[in-house]
Amino acid sequence: MTKLDFLERYGQEDEPYVCASCGNCTLVCPVFHELKWESYGPRGKLHVVKSILEGKSEFGKDFAHKIFLCNLCEHCTSVCTTGISLDRFWEVVRAEVRERGFLPAPAQFVLKSLKERGDIMWMGSADRLLWMEDIEEIVKGRILKKAKVAYFLGCNVSLKSQLHDVAKSMVKIMDYAGVDFTLLGDKEVCCGAPLGWAGNLKDINEMAEKNLEIIRELGVETIVFSCPSCILTWSEYSEYLKENQNIELLTASQFISRLIRERRLSFEEQPMITPTFHDPCISARVLKATEEPREIMDYIPGVYHVEMNPSRQNTRCCGSHGLLDVVDPILASKIAEVRLRDVTVTPATRIVTECPRCILAFDLAKFTTNYDILVQDITQLVASSLAPKDEGGAKDQ
Amino acid sequence: MRFDEQQIGDIVGADNVSTTPETCMIYSKDVTSLPEVAHQIVSPRFDVITQPVDVLSLRNLILYALDNGIPIVPRGNGTSGWGGAIPTRGGICVALSGMSEILYFNEFESAVTVETGITWRDLLTFVERLGFTLPVYPSSATAATVGGFVASGGLGIGSTRHGDILKQVLGIEAVLPNGKIVRLGRLLLDSKNDELKEKVEEGNLWLSKQLSTAGLGTPEQETKLFTGTYGTLGIITKVTLKTIPKLYLLPFACSFDNMADLVKVANIIISKAKPYYLRFLTDNYTSKLDALNEYENESGKFILTGALLDTIYRNEDNVEIIKTATNEDNGAVLNDKRSRYYWNERFYPLRVKRHGPSIVPAEMLAPINMIPEILEKTKTELRNSKIAIEGMLSNDGTTSVMVWILDDERKKVSFTIGWHRSFKFASLAQRFGGLPYAVGLWNGRHARKYYGNDAYNDLKVMKKKLDPRNIMNPVKVFGGRVTIGRESMLIGFLIGFIGTLIAGWVIPRIPILVQLIQLLDSSLLQLLYFPYLVIVGLSVGLVGLLITRIMTLNQALAMGIPLLRILSKLKRK
Repeated sequence: MTKLDFLERYGQEDEPYVCASCGNCTLVCPVFHELKWESYGPRGKLHVVKSILEGKSEFGKDFAHKIFLCNLCEHCTSVCTTGISLDRFWEVVRAEVRERGFLPAPAQFVLKSLKERGDIMWMGSADRLLWMEDIEEIVKGRILKKAKVAYFLGCNVSLKSQLHDVAKSMVKIMDYAGVDFTLLGDKEVCCGAPLGWAGNLKDINEMAEKNLEIIRELGVETIVFSCPSCILTWSEYSEYLKENQNIELLTASQFISRLIRERRLSFEEQPMITPTFHDPCISARVLKATEEPREIMDYIPGVYHVEMNPSRQNTRCCGSHGLLDVVDPILASKIAEVRLRDVTVTPATRIVTECPRCILAFDLAKFTTNYDILVQDITQLVASSLAPKDEGGAKDQ
Repeated sequence: MRFDEQQIGDIVGADNVSTTPETCMIYSKDVTSLPEVAHQIVSPRFDVITQPVDVLSLRNLILYALDNGIPIVPRGNGTSGWGGAIPTRGGICVALSGMSEILYFNEFESAVTVETGITWRDLLTFVERLGFTLPVYPSSATAATVGGFVASGGLGIGSTRHGDILKQVLGIEAVLPNGKIVRLGRLLLDSKNDELKEKVEEGNLWLSKQLSTAGLGTPEQETKLFTGTYGTLGIITKVTLKTIPKLYLLPFACSFDNMADLVKVANIIISKAKPYYLRFLTDNYTSKLDALNEYENESGKFILTGALLDTIYRNEDNVEIIKTATNEDNGAVLNDKRSRYYWNERFYPLRVKRHGPSIVPAEMLAPINMIPEILEKTKTELRNSKIAIEGMLSNDGTTSVMVWILDDERKKVSFTIGWHRSFKFASLAQRFGGLPYAVGLWNGRHARKYYGNDAYNDLKVMKKKLDPRNIMNPVKVFGGRVTIGRESMLIGFLIGFIGTLIAGWVIPRIPILVQLIQLLDSSLLQLLYFPYLVIVGLSVGLVGLLITRIMTLNQALAMGIPLLRILSKLKRK
């Protein structure tokens, strides 16, 4: 029997045997949906792990590659009959892939970039300030200011120019509502999520801690994120947050919905907007934040949101989570196209979501399918619907 | 076995064929983890996996298999545990999940026609959007295919009102082992787009002749030959199923302290309230449901749960019946939230598996009134095992009793020996008038009892006519020669050889023979005796080896099961 110590190290040694082979996971897997063979689906991969444990199969390059053909979208985990945390299991197997030197080149690049530059795309801390162009007035004095609310942008939103408007919208909303908030600016580093996706589980806490150390010093009680994966990563891997429950982590829509309930945002009538909300995998299946974005859309006058099928916890992945967009961009794009097809059968005129990866994936799928539709973050919809400032809500005391 | 991957690729499409060892291994499994020793009698994996996407390519694939004498086994999503879709002699696996279209729906005829690779979940979603539902669907509906359940038969959600799945089948299309395409019963299709019309006419004409020579009815009357027989007579490609209006669904649940009270109430509910669905969970099942931990009152109780599917007014009346009966028989009616919980759990009977982490399944159909006694005996007989028992009630007075024997397959020896418990439960339930729940591969020896004598004889006659080369899902239902492993052949040889040597040593020492040998004794005889004995031993060893080669599955099981029982007793001692 092949000794696979790593499973025991992470307390996962029972999981391949706990699998009931019911097939629920396979039928919801976006990768299986595209590639059609069970060897790409969760059930099949678990059978292979079992086979490796029993010394009948090899932990080779081919298997390692298949382990990376996965979105870590939590769909398999959410339907597992016997409650296996499959996504955690795949991360543990990815760690072993790394140990054995089979890491795909794009994943190696991500790890190198995180180590040397603190982000996933080989940029640098100075580039994390570029998004502030044109809104200097609002962000002036906000960087590293002591405040109860912190806005954590994440790598994609702060570094990718096509997503800069998401961050701008979020700070505009906070400013409008009179929220006393702080930004980490160029001191922000990656949350650590891609480390787990690339098989380096042990350094995630360190990466999270780099951010949290600053956040703690600023006296922050609430952190608002533009990317749900950052929340998941910190809740799962930050030792500090596990021990101290005094900091709450919120998605943008959870925070905006709170501001609306506190009557700190007011909106003007929109000219008949019919968006459909794409639930990002992590916010829907792990954070269970499915109702807040809908409440927000229902609250804005003139916005009539329509539902896609499937939605909420059953949402389909956009294809770009879990490093699949860098390991196999074509496959990732095909998965995004499938989700885009769900939109085409609704009367929606725009897709609203709250994950930067989903926005990037749909922008690419729009191009590959030649299907023109506006893709927005929920913060962009909210910011563009706000009533003129003098009608805004009360300020934080 | 000789096969040409490229040729198969030409038939079904190159992207729809795989011969990689890991794919073949994955598609060779169903939900049951078999002990290693099982692969001494059935082959561990298919040689080729195919995913045809239309009936004509499937037909050509079957013709290819027929020409080359290669076994061909249909597979849905591998969600059953009776071995109906696993390989017995290697060969070609036909994964039907690529054929999953909804072809026809007519609300006035209350019927829907689908390709058999569609999952029950997808079909349910479709009909429910149109205001209908299915009279019966399996508890594995989230992943099981329509073809898989129709080909194996059995009880499902809805059986408490509508009986087993085979009663819901109006018609089928199947490809026979000789490549002919036939339609049986009343298969509803849009006739304008029916590309197979001519081929079906030809196939049905041929089948009619075969049926009439066998003394059977017309194809319209003989759907049952293909449903519930695991694709041994042909691969089902289309099915027309009944639909029913989706009225008001009202889940309910009651808890009891013992099984006798539960059965009493279940009988009243079935006869008076006519529920859509009724399931029981025993104390050893509920105590293992982690989600029940916070509901102390339910953990370790006997739960009767189900759903009414009727008009709001009738449901209200029926709820009163359930409440009265439960209260009169020392039970407690659970609230809506808990009822909804148990209704949602109907798709997850395997929740308890984590307590294993492996399971040995055992399931029987038994008369409902015998259930308390069967459960008591089962608990006594399997007292040294961790078990969880649940079951589903049908409208004909029978109940499926599922015993999940929790074990750990990593403990190879005890897991292998522990399999005798599955057979032990089967024989116990039979003593109380029970039947195997399914035939598949492992219950082939009970097939005559399961199908009934006459029906089984008809099936055998038709199997010979339709599949004389026995390529279609061999060994299932009808039994047959097994693929024996090297270890078993060696054991067969050693038993023959060592047995002969021992006999050669013992027999000359039998008193009467001793005198005879002394009479004939000569130094020459003594010199010649041992080499001859070795030669005879080798010959008998070869005979032993040959016997293992020609052994049928049922013979192998008949020898293996008592052996496991003996080993289990020895192990306990």
